[in-house]
Amino acid sequence: MTSQDIHSEKQHHIDMKKGDVAPTVLIPGDPGRVELFASLMDEANKVAEKREYITYTGKKDGVPISCTSTGLGCPPTAIGVEELIRIGAKNIIRIGTCGAIQPFLEPGHMIIATGAVRGEHTSEEFINMEYPAVADYRIVRALIDACEKLHLPYHLGIVRSHDAFYLESPWALGDYRKRLQPWVDMGVLALENESSAIFVISGMQGIRAGTILASGYSILEEHEEKIHEEENICKMVSAAIEAAKLLHERGLAK
Amino acid sequence: MEKQHHIDLKPGDVAETVFLPGDVHRAKFIADLFDEAEFVAHKRQYVTYTGTYKGTKVSVTSTGIGCPALAIAVEELINVGAKNFIRIGTCGALQKQVRLGDVIIASGAVRGDGTSREYFPLEYPAVADFDTLEALIAAAKERGVNPHVGIIRAHDSFYAESILAGGDYLVKDKPWIDSGVLSTENESSTLFTLATVRKCRSGTILIPVGHHLFPDEMISTEQLSDAIKLETLIALDATVKLKQKFG
Repeated sequence: MTSQDIHSEKQHHIDMKKGDVAPTVLIPGDPGRVELFASLMDEANKVAEKREYITYTGKKDGVPISCTSTGLGCPPTAIGVEELIRIGAKNIIRIGTCGAIQPFLEPGHMIIATGAVRGEHTSEEFINMEYPAVADYRIVRALIDACEKLHLPYHLGIVRSHDAFYLESPWALGDYRKRLQPWVDMGVLALENESSAIFVISGMQGIRAGTILASGYSILEEHEEKIHEEENICKMVSAAIEAAKLLHERGLAK
Repeated sequence: MEKQHHIDLKPGDVAETVFLPGDVHRAKFIADLFDEAEFVAHKRQYVTYTGTYKGTKVSVTSTGIGCPALAIAVEELINVGAKNFIRIGTCGALQKQVRLGDVIIASGAVRGDGTSREYFPLEYPAVADFDTLEALIAAAKERGVNPHVGIIRAHDSFYAESILAGGDYLVKDKPWIDSGVLSTENESSTLFTLATVRKCRSGTILIPVGHHLFPDEMISTEQLSDAIKLETLIALDATVKLKQKFG
């Protein structure tokens, strides 16, 4: 492949070319979540499947929307985002789960990221750490409006993206609470693994990106109650689809 | 509470919203655009006026140039009751589509300064408060201005990265120009990080007065004065909007 045809050829990892995805693409980490997206659309067809990248493109109330799984972590997410941009994606919305770290967060709450802590290394290969990982304000607005329309409680704020799940989770060896305390003190809402690279790459290339996450209870506390995780994930994906429709209505799907 | 060491202010001296110009002499220029304003204090480069605009209480405190002095002002202003900050300033443009006298509203800032690193690890993003950002954009549009909205670069050494710097400043600028950073200034990264962590609102509105890609162009004194007036009025309208929305 030469540099001239990188935008028209089938992309190496996501196995798609221009025209295969809608201007708005929802990107979950989990390949299993792409079918949930498809089930919430009026129509959706599988476009490609290669490695951890599964894509469905379809319509909801006449608006074209796609969903491509990225796999877990920034390395495959960065590849997915780069290749999606090359075939015409203009709005990229990460949909996912997270480890909440503030006491006021509960299952059923949505987290809309305004920015992300760059606790990973992928984005640093693109640009040095001074550059801020910031969500696009128009995507943030669409996600807020979607949550309000669907009556979903939401929180706006900074999330922490990082690489090593088994250092900063309740299953970590050693004192994960101690490792997390500085971020709790800085008001960071939750931990996840992809948003910082998505925001940095999109910011540098002038593409709109945002993140919505289904929250649970803070991982710093003990909770016995059963969490209806699947139901909350379903609400989160519905909110992202609603946001995609709003972006389209607002002339922001070009 | 005692008067704060540097800004020479005590609780009650400032409004919940404080405008932060870098230039000491701009504090009075900005206060003159309020409906009414009174001089409150002047110590070092910190000049403060407090007044009202359309019934909303508002203050202005000059910070001097750079993040070290801005951080002191913000910390002490929070100590005396400030909750919302809007930096009103000038900058050097980095992108072709940005012209001198245009309005830039920052959604985030590159953390090229030293002060914010002393507070928070570099991986923490310098992000403007979302509601302040939206209020500034809406206020600008209502005044017929289509602002440039995006990431700017805050840094410490003017004479390492400006059109007045020796050597080839564009070599240092290149990564930022290539990644779409709109302009360079000296305060917003510390403002955004410090305000966010202290649970305060912050935003930045800037006027490009020089251009890194067109170094021969400079803004005229008259054009600058009009532009500062415009960005101050936008910040005032945004303050009224935030007051109406959040009380």
